[in-house]
Amino acid sequence: MTGTTTARLEEIRGPHWKPEDLLGRLTLGELLFSNDYRAIALKTILTSLVMLALGGLFALTFRTELALPDIQFLGARPYLGLLTVHGMIMVFGFLIPIVIAICYYMLPGSLKTGRLHWPGTAQASYWLLGAAALLLIIGRPDFTWTVYAPMSLRVGGELVWMGYVAVVLVGVSEFLAGAVLLRNVLAWKGRWGEMPLMGWGMLSEAALLLISTPLLTLVGLFLLSDWLGATALFDPARGGSTTTFLWMFWFYGHPAVYLPLVPAIAILYTLLPRFLGRPMWSYASGVVAFLLLLVLSFVVFHHHFQPDVTKHSWVQRAFQILTLFIFIPSTLHVFNWIASLWQDRIPASARAALPFKFMMGSIFFLILGGVTGYLNAQISVDSDFIHNTYWIPAHFHAMFLGFVGQMAMAGIYYLYPYFTGRLYDERLGNAHFWLWQLGIFAKVMLMYALGYAYFPRWVVDYLPLAEWTTAQLWLTVAAYAIGLGFILFIVNLAVSARRGARAPDDPWAVSDVEADFGKAAAPAK
Amino acid sequence: MQQALGLSGNTAIMFAITVALGVAGILALAMALFWPRRWRLRYRMEVGFVLLLLGLVIYADLDSGRIYQAYEANLPEPVALSGAKGFDAKRVGFDRQVRVYAFQWGFIFFDEQGKASRNAVKVAPGEKVLFNIMSNDVIHGLNIPAARMTTELDPGAVRSIWIRAPDAPGKYLIQCLNYCGLGHAQMKAWLVVEGAAHRQTRAQQHG
Repeated sequence: MTGTTTARLEEIRGPHWKPEDLLGRLTLGELLFSNDYRAIALKTILTSLVMLALGGLFALTFRTELALPDIQFLGARPYLGLLTVHGMIMVFGFLIPIVIAICYYMLPGSLKTGRLHWPGTAQASYWLLGAAALLLIIGRPDFTWTVYAPMSLRVGGELVWMGYVAVVLVGVSEFLAGAVLLRNVLAWKGRWGEMPLMGWGMLSEAALLLISTPLLTLVGLFLLSDWLGATALFDPARGGSTTTFLWMFWFYGHPAVYLPLVPAIAILYTLLPRFLGRPMWSYASGVVAFLLLLVLSFVVFHHHFQPDVTKHSWVQRAFQILTLFIFIPSTLHVFNWIASLWQDRIPASARAALPFKFMMGSIFFLILGGVTGYLNAQISVDSDFIHNTYWIPAHFHAMFLGFVGQMAMAGIYYLYPYFTGRLYDERLGNAHFWLWQLGIFAKVMLMYALGYAYFPRWVVDYLPLAEWTTAQLWLTVAAYAIGLGFILFIVNLAVSARRGARAPDDPWAVSDVEADFGKAAAPAK
Repeated sequence: MQQALGLSGNTAIMFAITVALGVAGILALAMALFWPRRWRLRYRMEVGFVLLLLGLVIYADLDSGRIYQAYEANLPEPVALSGAKGFDAKRVGFDRQVRVYAFQWGFIFFDEQGKASRNAVKVAPGEKVLFNIMSNDVIHGLNIPAARMTTELDPGAVRSIWIRAPDAPGKYLIQCLNYCGLGHAQMKAWLVVEGAAHRQTRAQQHG
C-alpha cells in the first residue's frame, strides 16, 4: 500500500471524537465565551438553527399570504419586510454560518491539528453576525437581500440605516471567518498533495470570503453614506451609477452564493468516505473541482444582470461562456460522489444512517437545481422566461435548501452523538427526512413551473391566472410540509438529548464491508 | 405565432439537453445506490464526460450568441451582444415604435405622435413593435409573457426591445420583473391587441 493511500484511509476517520454530553457539560457562560473549537462550533450551529426557525417562520407567514391571489392579511410593506429578512437571515444567518460552523467542528479532526487557531477572530465573527441579525430584525428594511440601489436608497422608514449597517457587519463578520479558515488550513503539517478534501474546500472558502467580502462591506458603507447625502455613488439622479453598484455588489454576490455551497461540498467529501468506509473515487478530481470553482466564481457575476447594453459585446459573451463553464467543476464533484458510491458495496450501516440519507437527498437536489444552470446562463433563453421569474428562486432553493440546507442537517445528525453522547430518534428523523424530500421536491418543481409561466419574483399580489393560482396554493402546502419536518427535527434534538439511547464509542462504525479498502480502514493492526 | 427571439426550437433542444443531463445524473445516483452490480469507473470516463460537457458549453454559447445577435440585428444601437455591428438598417421595418417610461410604479407609453397612455399600449395583431424604454428612478424590468421577452432597465440608459405582437386580439400582460420598491406587484400594464388585419410592414411598403 502506498503512503498516499494510507493517508487517505486515516483521513476517513478524521472527524471523530469520544461521544459525550458536551452540550450538557458546558455552562451557558462556557458555551458563549469558551475558545474551545467545539464550543464555538456548537454555539454557531445552535444560533443558526434559531435563525432557520425565524427565517422559516417569516417564509411561512408570507407564503400563507401568497396561497391565494389578492391581499388577505399581509400588506406590501410587512410582506416585503418579511421577504427581505427571510432572504438575509437564511443566507447570512443560517446557510453560510451553519456550514462554516460544521466545518469548524470537523476541520481540527480532518487536518489533525486538534484545535482551532485564532478562536478570538471566530468569536468576533460570531458576535458581529449576531449584531447584524438583531439590526435586521428590528429594522425590517424592505429592499430585499440584494439591496439594489437606488431603490434601496429610496425606501421609507427611519430605521432603514439599520439595514445598511447590518450589511457592513455581515461583510466584516464573513471576512473574519475567512481569515480563521485560512489560518487553520495553513496549520496543515502534511504534504499539500495529501491534505484532506475538507482542507481544500476550506482553502477555497477562505479565498472566496477574503476576496469577495470587502466589496460587500464597501457596498454597505456607500449605501449608508449615499443615504446620508454625503456621497452619491449609486444614484444616477445625483450623478452616481447603477453599474457601479451592480458590479460592486455582484462581485461579492456571485462568490457569495458559493459561500454556503463550498463548505457543504467539503462536508460531503468528509462524511461520504466515513460512511462508506473507503476513500473517494478520485482525490485529484475533487481538488481540481474545488480550485476551478473558486477561480470561476469571481468571473461570472455579470449573469445576474445580463445582457447590459452599456458594456462591450465581448464582456457579455465572456461572462456567458464563463458562467456555462461552472457546469464543469460542479459536475466533477457530483461525478466523484456517484462514482464513489458505485465502486463498491454500500454498507448496511450507511444505508440505515440518517446523515447518509440526507447526503443522498442533497446530491439529488444539487442535480435538480444545478442542471438548469445550463439554461440560465444563456442570454437568449434568459431573456425569455428566466430573468427574475420564479425560475430563479426554484434554482436557488434547490441549491440552498435542497443541497446546502440538507447537508447542514446531515452534518448536525452526524455530530449529534458526539456532542450529546446520545443517539437521535430514528422514527422522528426518518419522518423529518421524508417530509423534507417531498416538500422540497414539490416546492422546487412548482417554482420551476411558475417561472416557466412568467410568475414574477417579489410580488405580494398576483393576477388570478389558472397557471398561477393552483401552483401557488400547492407551493404553500409544500412549505408547511417543510416546516413540519423542521419541527420534528427540533423535537428530535431536544428529546433525544435526554432520552435517546447512549451512543456507542463509534456511532458510525462501518458494518459488513467486504471491500479491501473497508478492511484496511478498520482499526486492525 | 412568431417570436422576436425565435426561441421555440432552440428552447426545446436546450430543455432536452437539460432534462437529459438531470435524468442521467439522478438515474446514475439511483443505480449507484440500489442496483446490486458494482462498477469501478475509470478515470478516463470522467475526462470523456468533461469533454462532452465542454462540447455542450460551447454549443450553448454559440447558439445563444447566434440567436441574440439575430434578434439584435433589428435593434437600433446600443445593443448588447453584437456591438456596433448589431444594427442592420435593411432588415429593420417596424410597424410601430413606442417610447416607454418606466417609473415607481407603472409604465407610460408614448405613441409615434407623442400621445401618452398610462399602463396600456395598443397594437395591431402580428405587428412588429419597437419599444424604447427608459427609467429615471430605480432599476425596473419589463416582461411581456405573450411575446416571450424580458429585459432589465437601468435608470439613465435607454433600452430597446422589439416584439412580434400576438396574432389573436386581446389583452396581454406587461409586468415589471425587477424588484423596484413597495409597489412592484402593482407595476403592470396591458398590451392591447386590436383590429382584425395585420398591417403591411413598412419594409414591404417601401419595396
